[in-house]
Amino acid sequence: MGALGNGTRGLAGGTDLVPLLRDGLVAADRLVDLRRVIPSGIDGTAIGAGTTLAELEADPQIPDALREACRLAASPQLRNMGTIGGNLLQATRCWYWRLNYPCRLHGGDVCHAREGQHREHAIFANDYCASAHPSDVAAALLALDATVETTRAAGPLAGLYRLPDDHDRNLVDLGADELITRIHYERPEQSVYLKAMDRKRWAFALVGVAAARYDDGVRLGLAGVAPIPWRLASLDDLEQATPLPGTAYKLELARALGRRAIAAVGG
Amino acid sequence: MKIELTVNGEQREADVWEGESLLFALREKLGLPGSKNACEQGECGSCSVLLDGTLVCACLVLAAQADGHDVVTVEGLGATGEPHPVQEAFVEAGAVQCGFCTPGLVVATVDLLAHSPQPSEDEIREALSGNLCRCTGYAKIFDAVRLAAQ
Ligand SMILES: Cc1cc2nc3c(=O)[nH]c(=O)nc-3n(C[C@H](O)[C@H](O)[C@H](O)COP(=O)(O)OP(=O)(O)OC[C@H]3O[C@@H](n4cnc5c(N)ncnc54)[C@H](O)[C@@H]3O)c2cc1C
Ligand code: SF4
Ligand code: FES
Ligand code: FES
Repeated sequence: MGALGNGTRGLAGGTDLVPLLRDGLVAADRLVDLRRVIPSGIDGTAIGAGTTLAELEADPQIPDALREACRLAASPQLRNMGTIGGNLLQATRCWYWRLNYPCRLHGGDVCHAREGQHREHAIFANDYCASAHPSDVAAALLALDATVETTRAAGPLAGLYRLPDDHDRNLVDLGADELITRIHYERPEQSVYLKAMDRKRWAFALVGVAAARYDDGVRLGLAGVAPIPWRLASLDDLEQATPLPGTAYKLELARALGRRAIAAVGG
Repeated sequence: MKIELTVNGEQREADVWEGESLLFALREKLGLPGSKNACEQGECGSCSVLLDGTLVCACLVLAAQADGHDVVTVEGLGATGEPHPVQEAFVEAGAVQCGFCTPGLVVATVDLLAHSPQPSEDEIREALSGNLCRCTGYAKIFDAVRLAAQ
């Protein structure tokens, strides 16, 4: 397993990659069907990277925060196809990026969103690239203290992500030929995922808040607030947010959802 | 590359390029234009098909990924002159206006009723939440699903 050569891209469910390939946002000389090589299925607190969101949503063993994050993500068709590994690695939904504006994430030297339309964008770590990470699943897994196992190493989920800078525009710290194989989580006493969306179903999170209660307190993971999935030590840390004019409302959303989520897990 | 797959119960072959979607192959290579292409981003559900019995968006599946697999499109549900009961229910309930969303909704409804023959209101809404309709406001579509479930 492993070693994807130069110019080769791995394809799992394809829900993120297929449109990016078609629109020329990602180039690949060769595609490898990852579902043949990466594990899938749920074994206690270990989840194969090829497990679909639909399987996770349906399994009563899975903590509520992760089940809800899956249930509230995308549409039934997409959850049938999309895998947890692919979800963690999905590209930004920033429309400037998707429309191939020469912005910082594409290697340019401006963030078009900061000056332009940025209602869906970030309130934390948004000075270089203001995109907001779309993964509900990653927010839930941060709260669940997840570890990611790859073909090379294992480490905390938070370490999978990095903020972009002039030297490296990637949001993910993963080798070109490195594959995610499994995700491990810590079973909480109670957990929840709350998601604010523009419509009732089937939209990306404006803000998503996951909370999980353990012996030593409540852990929080957020979607839609920073270029990468965001961990908060406590709601007080929301004071450190740096919202843009168009995203100030997200701070209020995060506060309200955060309070409700903590109350829901009895924290 | 050449792919071989079962489509609506028949063994079929197609010549596709690596990045080609299953939707494109069905419509342009296999003569099955029933699955619609509207957004090609996974947002509208008008391209819904069953891949090995699972409801998916054909616009997001590569044709190459369907090699060796089983696909059912809206064309495979009823026969000419003998519509599937779900198709009849859509007509009877007046759930079709421009009709662009209809094939996808019919496939999604068939999938729902296969798993849950007497779905609750919530189940119906959830199951069809990936299928957008710009015309009907959904009320008549939900009527059609309830009618088909009877
Ligand atoms: C219309 C739409 C709405 C959506 N709404 C939401 C939402 O509300 N919330 C949400 O969280 N998500 C949402 N998504 C994202 C969706 O859940 C992801 O696209 C999906 O989970 C990705 O999984 P996949 O298996 O299809 O990934 P793919 O498209 O196959 O792959 C995505 C990327 O990950 C890489 N990859 C995949 N698996 C591995 C692995 N094991 N190791 C290394 N690299 C890998 C691929 O090379 C590729 O770069 C939405 C997507 C769409 C298209
Ligand atoms: S938010 Fe990030 S992805 Fe969007 S325009 Fe700015 S730099 Fe590009
Ligand atoms: S065309 Fe496939 S979901 Fe819209
Ligand atoms: S009938 Fe026109 S989109 Fe649904």
